[in-house]
Amino acid sequence: MNNFLFGRYLPGNSWIHKMSPQSKLLLTFFFVIIIFFANNPLTYGILICLILLSILMSGISLPYFLKGIQPLIWLIIFTVALQVLFASGGKVLWHWGIFSITDQSLINGGYIFIRFMLIIMISTILTLTTAPLAIADGVQTLLHPLKKIKVPVDTLALMLSIALRFVPTLMDEMTTVMNAQRSRGVDFGTGSLRQRLKSAVPLLVPLFSGAIDHAENLSVAMEARGFTDSEHRSKYRVYHWQNRDLLSAIIFLIIGILVVYFRS
Amino acid sequence: MDNGITFEKVSHIYQPNSPFSHLALNNASFKIEPGDFVAIIGHTGSGKSTLVQHINALLKPTTGQILIYNTKIQPETSNKNLKQLRHHVGMVFQFPENQLFEETVIKDIMFGPKNYGASDDEARTAAKEAMQMIGLESSLADKSPFDLSGGQRRRVAIAGVLAMKPEILVLDEPTAGLDPRGRTRLLDLITNLNQTQKVTIVLVTHQMEDVVDYAKKIIVMDNGRVIRFGNSQEIFGDPSWVKAHHLNLPRSAQFSLALKKNGVKFDRLALTIDQLADKVSNLVKH
Repeated sequence: MNNFLFGRYLPGNSWIHKMSPQSKLLLTFFFVIIIFFANNPLTYGILICLILLSILMSGISLPYFLKGIQPLIWLIIFTVALQVLFASGGKVLWHWGIFSITDQSLINGGYIFIRFMLIIMISTILTLTTAPLAIADGVQTLLHPLKKIKVPVDTLALMLSIALRFVPTLMDEMTTVMNAQRSRGVDFGTGSLRQRLKSAVPLLVPLFSGAIDHAENLSVAMEARGFTDSEHRSKYRVYHWQNRDLLSAIIFLIIGILVVYFRS
Repeated sequence: MDNGITFEKVSHIYQPNSPFSHLALNNASFKIEPGDFVAIIGHTGSGKSTLVQHINALLKPTTGQILIYNTKIQPETSNKNLKQLRHHVGMVFQFPENQLFEETVIKDIMFGPKNYGASDDEARTAAKEAMQMIGLESSLADKSPFDLSGGQRRRVAIAGVLAMKPEILVLDEPTAGLDPRGRTRLLDLITNLNQTQKVTIVLVTHQMEDVVDYAKKIIVMDNGRVIRFGNSQEIFGDPSWVKAHHLNLPRSAQFSLALKKNGVKFDRLALTIDQLADKVSNLVKH
C-alpha cells in the first residue's frame, strides 16, 4: 500500500509542477474527453505518446510511476474481463454457457484497457504534481463564472480545501488509533466477516469523534479570527496564466485535433 | 529468556524505495534490563516514537532484530503470533484519550483484558483495580467516556492499558497536556508499578525534570541514532554536550550551572531538586 500513488502529491519542481492548477485541471478534462474520440491503434498511439511526454515532464521516474498505479490493475482487468466475456458481435472464438469471446470483444477489451490506463495515468499525473490545496484553488477559479447564478463557489471551494486538508490528518489518526487498539489485542483484518466488522467499531468511533472535534475546533478558530463567508476574500496564492500553460494547451489542442482527424 | 528488551542493530525506513523514503531509526543497539525504568529523550523527529513502536512489533525493523519477551522480531516476522507479545507489552500512545470508544468507562477498560482472553468477571476485577490505581472514582465506571474531562479520559485510557497487567509498559509522552498535579500523580504511579511489581518502564518525554527525578537510565536519540545510553549523571553531567544536541538541562541543573559560574564549587552537578537543596543547605551552613 505504501507505494500506491493514486491520489497522492509528490512535491517537485518540474514543468508540470509549475503549471497553474486551473490549466492542469482543464487539460486533464480535455484529455479525458479526447480519449473517447480515439478508436484505432494510431489515435491511441498518439495519446500514449502524449502521456509518456507528460510523465517525462513531471519529473517522476517512469518505473516508479508504473509501480505506483500497479495496485489498480486488478480493477481494470476485472472490468475488461467482463467486457470481453459478455460482448456480442463479430466472429465467436470461444463459447461456454453465457460467456462468449469474439474477435470484436477482444479488440474492444484491449481498447477499454488502454482507455482506463490513460484516464488513471492522466489523473495520477494531476494529483502527483498539484498540491491538494492548489487543486481546490483551481476548482474555485474554474467554477467562478457560476457565481453569476448564485452558486456559493467560494464556500464550496473552502469546504473542498478543508476536506482535503484533513485527509492526511485523519490518516495519521487512523494509524495511531489502529496501533493503540492493536496493542490492546485487536486483530484487524483477520477472522470471520462478523469479527472483522466488530473490530471496526474500536477504530471508527474514535475516528468519528476526532473528526467532529476537529470540525468544532476549526470553526471556533476561524470565527475567532473573524472569518465570514459574506465578504469578498482575497487570496494568499494567486496563479497566473503563464507561457508554459499556453504551450501545454497548444500541445494538447494539436493532439486533440490529430486524434479527431485520424479516428476511423 | 527474561522480560528485558534487546535491540540489535535495528534500522527502520519508512516507505523504502520511494521519494518519501525516510530513515527514522539508524542502527540502534541497546539492552534494557528487566525491571528497569528507562527514559527516552531527544528533540522532535529524532525517532523516539518509531523506536518505541518496535517494542511491541507495531513496526518491524527494516534491518536488525529485537529480542523481547521470548519473541524475536525480525523484518520477516509475520503478524500472527504477536498477540502473546502485545499482551505483555502495554503501550500508552500520545494523547491516548483519543482511542476510547466504548459506551461506558468500565467497558472500555475491560476491552484489553477481554481481547487477551480474560472472562467478564476477571476483566471487571482488573478494570476496577486499574481505576483505583490511576485514581478514578468508581462512580465514573458507568458513565460514557465522552462525558468526562480531558484529564479523566486520559486516565481511563491509561487504566485500559494497566488492566492488561503488562510486564513491560511503554509510555509515549503520557504527561503532555496534564496539569502539574496530574503529572506527578501519573509518574508516581508508574514508579510504584516499577518498584513493587517490577514492571519494566520505557518513558518517552520532553520533561527533563521527570527524567532526572524518575528514570534510572536514559536513552538519548538524535536523527534516528541512539547517541547515548546511561544514567542521568552520565548524560546531564556534561552540559556542553547536552546543549550541542539541542536538549535542555533540568531546571536544577541550570540553577547549579548558574551557581557554578558565580564561583560555587560542585563535585558533580546537582540534577534533581533534592540534590540542589542539599547543596544549597550545605552552602548556607558553612
